[in-house]
Amino acid sequence: MSIEIRGLTKHYGTTRAADGIDLVLGDSVQVLALIGPSGGGKSTLLRLVGGLERPEEGTIRIDGAEMPRDEESLRLWRRQNGFLFQSFNLFPHLTALENIILPLVEVHGWKRGEADARAREVVARFGMGAHLEKHPAQLSGGQQQRIALARAMAHEPALLLLDEPTSALDPEMKAEVLDLIEELCQAGQRIILSTHEMGFARGSADAVVFLGAGRVVESGSAAELFDHPRSAIVQAFLSKVMKW
Amino acid sequence: MWKNVLSAFISVVLLTTFAFVVWVVATHDYRWEAIAPYRNNLFSGWLVTLLVSVASLALSVFVGVLLTAGQLSGDPFSTFLCRIYVEVIRGTPLLTQILIGYYLIANAIDWHSSLGVGIVVLSCFSGAYLSEIFRGGIESIPRSQWLSARAIGLTGAQTYRFVVIPQAVRRVLPASAGQFANLVKDSSLLFVISVHEFTMQAREANANSYATFEAYLPLVLGYFLLTFPISFLSRHLERRYRYEH
Repeated sequence: MSIEIRGLTKHYGTTRAADGIDLVLGDSVQVLALIGPSGGGKSTLLRLVGGLERPEEGTIRIDGAEMPRDEESLRLWRRQNGFLFQSFNLFPHLTALENIILPLVEVHGWKRGEADARAREVVARFGMGAHLEKHPAQLSGGQQQRIALARAMAHEPALLLLDEPTSALDPEMKAEVLDLIEELCQAGQRIILSTHEMGFARGSADAVVFLGAGRVVESGSAAELFDHPRSAIVQAFLSKVMKW
Repeated sequence: MWKNVLSAFISVVLLTTFAFVVWVVATHDYRWEAIAPYRNNLFSGWLVTLLVSVASLALSVFVGVLLTAGQLSGDPFSTFLCRIYVEVIRGTPLLTQILIGYYLIANAIDWHSSLGVGIVVLSCFSGAYLSEIFRGGIESIPRSQWLSARAIGLTGAQTYRFVVIPQAVRRVLPASAGQFANLVKDSSLLFVISVHEFTMQAREANANSYATFEAYLPLVLGYFLLTFPISFLSRHLERRYRYEH
């Protein structure tokens, strides 16, 4: 996918969550990882790209299409994508199956039968077939994330946006979810994810962007950025997080 | 240790009080024959109370939903108006509202059905309380749910319909049931505009027969028959919509 972001700015109160983000990536990028310190702007950038928030200034172009500004078109923009948050993605009053069916029927206009079949297919692929009728509270954190991921990609989104999808999970569950994401990468799904899993970013991403203080500090291929970081900030960050 | 002593103490006090009350009430020398001629009046009063309760229950939910929508609409002026309404209704006596509603407002528009006016005033009164309960329920739904709904592409209306309201309904059930029970009992105040409801019939029976307890004791049973199904139904629905297993 080609991504072209110019002068993207977003404040939360007095915090500059995005402080003039510029980023241009060519067509060869299928999986993009956003790394950097917490509060550096990763989540904000994902939410802006996903159309969940509106920037104060700047433009976002994906595959040449500019992100619209009005709420109506923005909702169409959001529909094309799939979004996964750190946690609490699912609706607790619906079963796993209903959680996946709801957007297919109500947002994408599928017939109930088709949506049901599709939901079952995706869930089975994610190894969650036994848990279809359970409510989120009956599932472990990792299982909840897998169902949420199934919901985010059941409609075959053009772009999957994952905001620290494993940060709230313990190591074993992290691995379950990362395995799935890796599988989606292999299958050709276009993904932008923010993560603290450096091993995953390095192994699965075509391009890595380091964000700090609401700006792009450095970007490049995974190998470039991890093996030969140019900026002192990235060097310091990587030496810290890679130490253990 | 102290917990056990405390709960034993509470149990003893409650049981003794209860036994005492039952004994006093049961051993009273009743003159049921004095009240017998009025039993049809009492029953028709109970039916009026049932009618008033059911009608104003439905109408008060409607009023409550409107006020909630007004307060959550995001329009500052309608929010302001709804808040003023809720504060005035909650801050003034129902008795006064009934009197003003009937003798001033309804009179001004030439509406003289005390039953109809009674139902409307009760609904306006109860609706103000319900709207606070509903608003609390909706605002208690975490931000993450709204964000998730937005992320999957639901519109604002769809978010309310499929995500927020189904979760809020369960949360507001217990408090709403309490408010409905209050509504049933508050309907007894409609005697001031001479609606011939249950309590008024008991007052008249007492005035004519001088059999005070025989006239008022049926109220205990009659009102309980109306309020108990509400609390029973609320508990049943609460269990049915339970999803935090």
